[in-house]
Amino acid sequence: HLKPTEIQRFQRTSRQSAVVVVHTVDKMVASMWRISGAVNRAFGRAGYPLLLSLRRGQASVSYAQSLLGAPETRLTTLSNGLRIASEETNQATCTVGLWIGCGSRYESEKNNGAGFFLEHMAFKGTKKHPQSALEKAVESMGAHLSAYTSREHTAYYMKTLAKDLPKAVELLAEVVQSSSLSEADIEQQRNVVLRELEEVQGSLQDVCLDLLHATAFQGTPLGHSVLGPSANARTLTRNDLVEYISSHYKAPRMVLATAGGVNHDELVALAKQHFSGISFEYEGDAVPVLSPCRFTGSEIRMRDDALPLAHIAIAVEGAGAANPDIVPLMVANSIIGSYDITFGGGKHLSSRLARLAAELNLCHSFQAFHSSYNDTGLLGIYFVTDKHKIEDMMHWAQNAWMNLCTTVTESDVARAKNALKASLVGQLNGTTPVCDDIGRHILNYGRRIPLAEWDARIEGVTPRIVRDVCSKYIYDKCPAVSAVGPIEQLPDYNRMRSAMYWLRF
Amino acid sequence: MMSLPARLGALSPYLQACGPLKALLPRAVNTEVLMKPALCGHFGARLAHTDIKIPDFSDYRRIEVLDAEKSSQESSNARRTFSYLVTGSTAVVGVYAAKTVVTQFVSSMSASADVLALSKIEIKLSDIPEGKNMTFKWRGKPLFVRHRTEKEIAAEQNVDLSELRDPQHDRDRVTNPTWVIVIGVCTHLGCVPIANAGEYGGYYCPCHGSHYDASGRIRKGPAPLNLEVPYYEFPDEDTVIVG
Repeated sequence: HLKPTEIQRFQRTSRQSAVVVVHTVDKMVASMWRISGAVNRAFGRAGYPLLLSLRRGQASVSYAQSLLGAPETRLTTLSNGLRIASEETNQATCTVGLWIGCGSRYESEKNNGAGFFLEHMAFKGTKKHPQSALEKAVESMGAHLSAYTSREHTAYYMKTLAKDLPKAVELLAEVVQSSSLSEADIEQQRNVVLRELEEVQGSLQDVCLDLLHATAFQGTPLGHSVLGPSANARTLTRNDLVEYISSHYKAPRMVLATAGGVNHDELVALAKQHFSGISFEYEGDAVPVLSPCRFTGSEIRMRDDALPLAHIAIAVEGAGAANPDIVPLMVANSIIGSYDITFGGGKHLSSRLARLAAELNLCHSFQAFHSSYNDTGLLGIYFVTDKHKIEDMMHWAQNAWMNLCTTVTESDVARAKNALKASLVGQLNGTTPVCDDIGRHILNYGRRIPLAEWDARIEGVTPRIVRDVCSKYIYDKCPAVSAVGPIEQLPDYNRMRSAMYWLRF
Repeated sequence: MMSLPARLGALSPYLQACGPLKALLPRAVNTEVLMKPALCGHFGARLAHTDIKIPDFSDYRRIEVLDAEKSSQESSNARRTFSYLVTGSTAVVGVYAAKTVVTQFVSSMSASADVLALSKIEIKLSDIPEGKNMTFKWRGKPLFVRHRTEKEIAAEQNVDLSELRDPQHDRDRVTNPTWVIVIGVCTHLGCVPIANAGEYGGYYCPCHGSHYDASGRIRKGPAPLNLEVPYYEFPDEDTVIVG
């Protein structure tokens, strides 16, 4: 059975042409990325358009080679359940990190924001290395130590030279297992967290998408924002953080992932040395179980006429990460694509909605997204537009959805499949994206899905499949809408709901 | 559909861990009390978008979606079908009701009951002796009701049709041969014929000399057609309703 990827991230480069599928990573910072296709890369290197060149061998690696060239990801499991996965490529650098299957979805109302707070505390020192010592150790290696928290995953990872792998693993093990969590640091970090909350209010994209989750999954843990409410930032105690760690940082839910110039056996030995101590038992045998989250068709409107642009997201319930419908939905999102007012394509852009956006000046930007979680997801379109164009943009966006369900053609699907394949290959451009890919795949599917398998799955998508799958998720369903800014023109919910089907006989 | 409007406010002065309380006080009356952290949350200012609490709409939810830990997909078809059924039947009933109301209003402009009542006339036959012709006003025209004798009946039934300008046998003009009911308007130019006059024992129109027989058929004179026979029926022996 199919277990495709849930999240893809793309590097924003200086040249952007045909933008393809975008999936959100619900990180608290910089959630959306866009890719320029592999063709663009060829532009830069070869100096002349690859497609126009008859000499095929100009690209440094062909698509087929990219598919099969990546070495197999090796996977080992320790006795306590910790999984170790690595992709070994002959490089001088590597990224090594710990991906943990916990996030804001596992938090309750009372401790929502604990994971985020913990991420802040992570680099404040461990029992063996107080903060300055930890910083010195990392800096002297020339390494980058980072972390992110999302709704279902938490990651601590380090980008370093391949030869520094032992030290990196040791430091990571300390950060995760024996963070000092001193009271003084906690108090100090409160202000930092509050400051960050304040700053996020300026990133209306994050606000809009957080509100979308809050309303779509109201009453369920998926509705929690990763940042947590400000009240919790003020009142979380050391006990809360310790409790969070002891309930969720368990070996079976962790993956030690590496990509770059590392040797798998060496890595396993290091892991045995440093990570054997992570427990795999829960207190009182209370294993946290993820219950399904109910999706509610609803809306939230945050009107503020003082803001210059309106940020609006509309979404329906999508497919979970392991659902085979993911691939047709990715292709469908690729058909809608994305757009930014800086695109030069104008009326020659490949996505129909982008063409309309350019010709009718419908919006400043839009992107189709699909955030998928364990058993559910959000499939939607996010757009930023002027306050007089909201109604038109919403109409055409929903029109694009209806077209997906009814009239998608062979050429649409062929173009989208190509773009999707190119983006899947293109995003794995470095040890860190590869490592992240490995970590998330193992957490979601228990194995790494190789590119060749992606390619085969995508190849099997036909227009009929796209129509059927999109009808299943989009046609005549209640959407969740969130809107921030000068949104007076946003139509009434009942009208948006009516635009989710066509009267056809 | 559940919708929630919220207002974005100015946030920065408040996003501190209860720091600036002192600075906001014009005069510190009782600083100790006012500095308590408990009062931080009582300003009423919402601090961040994560502080927005989506209200609990359980009172409005359908039963199948009350449980937050159950996916709403399974029941979605059933819920939608129910909604559409209710809407559809209400629409049908509504259309029917609208049609009824409109019909009632439009048909109020048609002929009223008293006018309609004029369209029929009920005649008591026992008032008309044999051989006599009585005239009634019906629909603005004279109506002749003639009680024929046996002799007249036999005579009319034996008339040869080839003699007639407008050939019609007597039985085609009457339901009950005893009674001849015709409209008393001469088919020539519309005068009212005189009963029991003329050469044929029927009617005679004095205007231009048209002679009708006891069955109301034209025999002599300028009129082209026989006297018109209206619709009538005999609900019982003694009455006839014309019209």
